[in-house]
Amino acid sequence: MAPADRQSDPGAASVPAPRVPVKGRGYWQETWLRFRRRRLPMAALCFVALLGLIAVLSPCLAGTKPIVCRYKGRLYFPATSYFNPRWENPIFMKDRFYKIYPKNLKKKDPESWAVWPVLYADPYRRIRDGEWDNRKGDEIYAEPNERNLFGTNQAGVDVLAQMIHGTRIALLVGFVSTGVAAVIGILLGAMAGYFGGLIDMLVSRVIELVMCVPAIILILTLLAILDKPTIWHMMAMLGMTGWTGIARLTRGEFLKLRQAEFVTAARALGVGWMRIILRHILPNALAPVLVPISFGIASAILTEAGLSLLGFGAPPPNPSWGTLLNSGKQNLQMWWLILFPGIAIFLTVLSYNLIGEGLQESTDPRLREAGK
Amino acid sequence: MSTPPSQPLLEIRHLKKYFPVRKGLFQRVVGNVHAVDDVSFAIQPGETLGLVGESGCGKTTVGRTLLRLYEPTSGSIHFQGEDVTHRGGSALRQLRRNMQIVFQDPFSSLNPRMTVRGIVEEGLRIHHIGTKAERRDRVEEILVKVGLDPTYLYRYPHEFSGGQRQRISIARALALQPQFMVLDEPISALDVSIQSQIINLLAQLKDEFKLTYLFISHDLSVVEYISDRVAVMYLGEIVEVATSGQLYRNPLHPYTQALLSSVPSIDPTKRRQRVVLPGDVPSPINPPGGCRFHPRCPIAVEACKTQPPPLVQIDGHAVRCHLVPGPGAGGA
Repeated sequence: MAPADRQSDPGAASVPAPRVPVKGRGYWQETWLRFRRRRLPMAALCFVALLGLIAVLSPCLAGTKPIVCRYKGRLYFPATSYFNPRWENPIFMKDRFYKIYPKNLKKKDPESWAVWPVLYADPYRRIRDGEWDNRKGDEIYAEPNERNLFGTNQAGVDVLAQMIHGTRIALLVGFVSTGVAAVIGILLGAMAGYFGGLIDMLVSRVIELVMCVPAIILILTLLAILDKPTIWHMMAMLGMTGWTGIARLTRGEFLKLRQAEFVTAARALGVGWMRIILRHILPNALAPVLVPISFGIASAILTEAGLSLLGFGAPPPNPSWGTLLNSGKQNLQMWWLILFPGIAIFLTVLSYNLIGEGLQESTDPRLREAGK
Repeated sequence: MSTPPSQPLLEIRHLKKYFPVRKGLFQRVVGNVHAVDDVSFAIQPGETLGLVGESGCGKTTVGRTLLRLYEPTSGSIHFQGEDVTHRGGSALRQLRRNMQIVFQDPFSSLNPRMTVRGIVEEGLRIHHIGTKAERRDRVEEILVKVGLDPTYLYRYPHEFSGGQRQRISIARALALQPQFMVLDEPISALDVSIQSQIINLLAQLKDEFKLTYLFISHDLSVVEYISDRVAVMYLGEIVEVATSGQLYRNPLHPYTQALLSSVPSIDPTKRRQRVVLPGDVPSPINPPGGCRFHPRCPIAVEACKTQPPPLVQIDGHAVRCHLVPGPGAGGA
């Protein structure tokens, strides 16, 4: 396993010793190399990366606003207003423009030109007759057809467009809520594990307390108290209830590593506790904690979808996958409202779980030794 | 020795370290592990004191307590004549510069997420010694001193063998230019062929940097080779202290005799009468009364079961046994 002790005779190394320091492969590099060899987790990672790409490019993939257009002598990027409505230039709101770009751009400025999204569809409204050349308007509850690949909902809004723009919410919910959970969990777990004693006792009791309260009930209660619950409130709540597993694991890792000889060695050098926690213990405790974080993202997405399905999720105009399911549950004959978002949720949750599993396998030292 | 023997570099007096044993829902203390029980010794500048004993006898605890890595239960630690038992804060950090440690297991004693440079440089960094470039040069210099290629600067511990890792450990301890080093079984986890290399390196570094060692080991032959004086521990107590030559030629305590008889020898004329001790080491939570060694001692008498023997001096040879007759002092 270990290479021969070469320093006894440094001159006789088989390869001419390089004179410049060679950078060794760090832990994360090795983990990545092992992870890359696993097919399924790697496919899952690619899928999540694809979702990320879709989320970032959603206004370019489906929308009714040009990506770039030249209007009355200036360049505009109206598609960015899908990220934030305030980014839409006020020029497009006056003179009866009504945000109907294809028709009005030409009418108001014959010189204008525009680059359009791949799909002329809007996640927020129905497409009317004649908006786009000779394209017919969408019907409500339309079955999948050539204009609406995944059909439309009760308001005639295109399902595919909603799903593309819903990717943003799905990923955001996963990352933000689990990010909040990770910060709380790692902080509390590290304190409990490193300092022990009274702090450990208190943190452990708080963990048990939070674990005892069903997250969904707590979230529903808080959403009921709030005047105008937004998706951000929900993410915060998901984060504040989902940190217990991360905290427990971090605590365990810190308890174990606090006793490690390299930590004792650092103390013998005179390293302070802050630096010991940040430089010596945390980097070693992080790998196992990454696994529940990955599973946490999956469960956050699932919880958000569940809440939206029950009607407590993102407020209606927001195109979340769960909201689509909700609109489908009222009329089960509209199978496309259930099937497509369902598949999307399923694949995303599955991907995060596969990534978590892959991480577990590629960071576990026992499996690493066996692989060598 | 450059300084008169009246001023030891390090002295511990009546050092005790008990670890509480907790049980139950409320973590009640139900007993204490008497890991180190009233241990006193002094180490002169430039000397190597060997500390031997079975596993679990408290040798490692002695080493870590005198470095203030564990808080002593009672007793005092004096370094260069100063009482450092209760030093804290920046004064303790200053002390750390002068006292370092090398651990037994070269695999768990190096942070797997840090490069060799990070590991060796850390002491310099936290004590704000030198600029970044100076520190780098110093790290390279030390790596060469411990026999490592300076091109290993940015490699990680897992890329090295046990012997190389132990050299990194030694480099880390050496970086702060300490006067005193605790070597806590530095070779026990290594292959036999590597052991001698490390021992020779340690001896060489000792001469070069004028170091003083506390060498902890259970390997008697290595201790004999490297130490000037040897202390034998049993169940948290020192049972015998003598110069290396004296101890090996003329062991006085029955436990030391048993230990030495267990050392294999290839020279048949040098073979000793094998003394096999019955039973196991008793629990340090509840050590036996009287002489702690009496339940296993082949020559124990009634008095041993009731009266704890004192550590008596017999011409520079100290021993804790009722049955060792000494000229004038000691005896029972």
